[in-house]
Amino acid sequence: MKQQIKFIIAALVALSSVISLPAFAKQTVNVGMSGNYVPFTFSEKDVLQGFEVDLWKEIALRSDYEVKFVLSTFSGLFGMLEAGHIDTIANQITITPARLERYVFSNPYVIDGVQIVTKKGREDITTVDDLKGKKVAVNLGSNFEEILRSIDTKKEINIITYDSGFAQDVVLGRTDAFIMDRVGSAALIKKSKLPLQLAGQPFEKIENAMPFLNKPKQIIIRDKVNAALLSMKNDGTLAKISVKWLGADVTQ
Amino acid sequence: MQMPLDVQYIIELLPILLKYLSVTMEMAILGFCFAIILAVILAVVRVLKLPLLRHLASVFISFFRGTPLLVQLFLLYYGLPQVLPIFAGVDAFTAAIIGLSLHFSAYMAESIRAAIMGIDKSQMEACLSIGMTRLQAMRRIILPQAARVATPSLMNYFIDMIKSTSLAFTLGVAEIMAKAQMEASSSFKYFESFLAVALIYWAVIELFSRLQHYLEIRMNRAY
Repeated sequence: MKQQIKFIIAALVALSSVISLPAFAKQTVNVGMSGNYVPFTFSEKDVLQGFEVDLWKEIALRSDYEVKFVLSTFSGLFGMLEAGHIDTIANQITITPARLERYVFSNPYVIDGVQIVTKKGREDITTVDDLKGKKVAVNLGSNFEEILRSIDTKKEINIITYDSGFAQDVVLGRTDAFIMDRVGSAALIKKSKLPLQLAGQPFEKIENAMPFLNKPKQIIIRDKVNAALLSMKNDGTLAKISVKWLGADVTQ
Repeated sequence: MQMPLDVQYIIELLPILLKYLSVTMEMAILGFCFAIILAVILAVVRVLKLPLLRHLASVFISFFRGTPLLVQLFLLYYGLPQVLPIFAGVDAFTAAIIGLSLHFSAYMAESIRAAIMGIDKSQMEACLSIGMTRLQAMRRIILPQAARVATPSLMNYFIDMIKSTSLAFTLGVAEIMAKAQMEASSSFKYFESFLAVALIYWAVIELFSRLQHYLEIRMNRAY
């Protein structure tokens, strides 16, 4: 009896290992994102969702990849890309000269501007000049930090870096304003219902895309992503995803 | 913000967070098992003053006690793969367990060493007199007695380890702290989210404190 059970178990194990080997294994692409950037990538009731998530599900479908989302703090994402833990980052990464030196980018899929956001009712901050002497929050390691530091040549702005939660701190008065992309800021204010406002006009054009390491394997993925993005642009899927999450087409 | 505490939100969030408690506990338990093995080796090497090895053990303990756990985790996960590409294959979960075991083994080695030193010298002398080697004496006679002495402080380190797994979220491990952080940033209910996660840690650690108490009573029964 014992022998028989042993045999059955062994047979089952052997069988299951055969079954679980797929005939054509799809290549898995590891996509890094912060999971705390409403409405691009966020988790609500334990469901990861947002613009970037929908975008990548569609890219995976069109390029026959298996996509795996890897979540980490925003400032950790580039470290993971460098270390090879992820293939790319889908987190509204802006193309900057410094990043172009090190990475190859996909075609931009969001065109946007840099926006100052303050607590509702504040009228003393509407331009970059008004930020002098103020506490301004930015995401640690983001291009907004870079942009602000490049503008602030005389170090007159008190720049405070966050990994998350900076919108909350502007409401609490711990900082005077935060700097982010216009689209994301508008969506955040709408979704969070926090007493915040877009202060003045956006002040710098930004193009967001996905960075890849400049290596043969990653460049192949990049090219496939570009092909998928192009076909999504042509058949209107990209615009549809944009309208769904942001209420407007910001992909052109 | 003047918002009353949203109890309903906490009640809804708790089961979501609890789903990820297994990740937290796996890291703590696996990390603790590896740490204890490493710690015993380190402690024995130091007590028996084994040549060369004792110096390596001292440097190891000095480094892992002398640097913050967060720094060690970053070194391991973000730093090492740049120098040794083979480490890129180590996922965040594994890196967190390795980091936790290395870090805590350094502390635990010291309390195990103290426990060994607390066992009367005559025991070792008696073992040697009947022809045991020093390692045999350690394994058969000294360590079993030292284990009883070391248990309370080792349990303390285990509890500390459970809490330290929360740092793994900085490597992107989806454990309960990471989940709380993410839910907070989409709902903007920071107080509720972090309160929920604090309650879970508290409950789990309370459970292990009870276990520790029970374990100590059992181990002291013979005395």
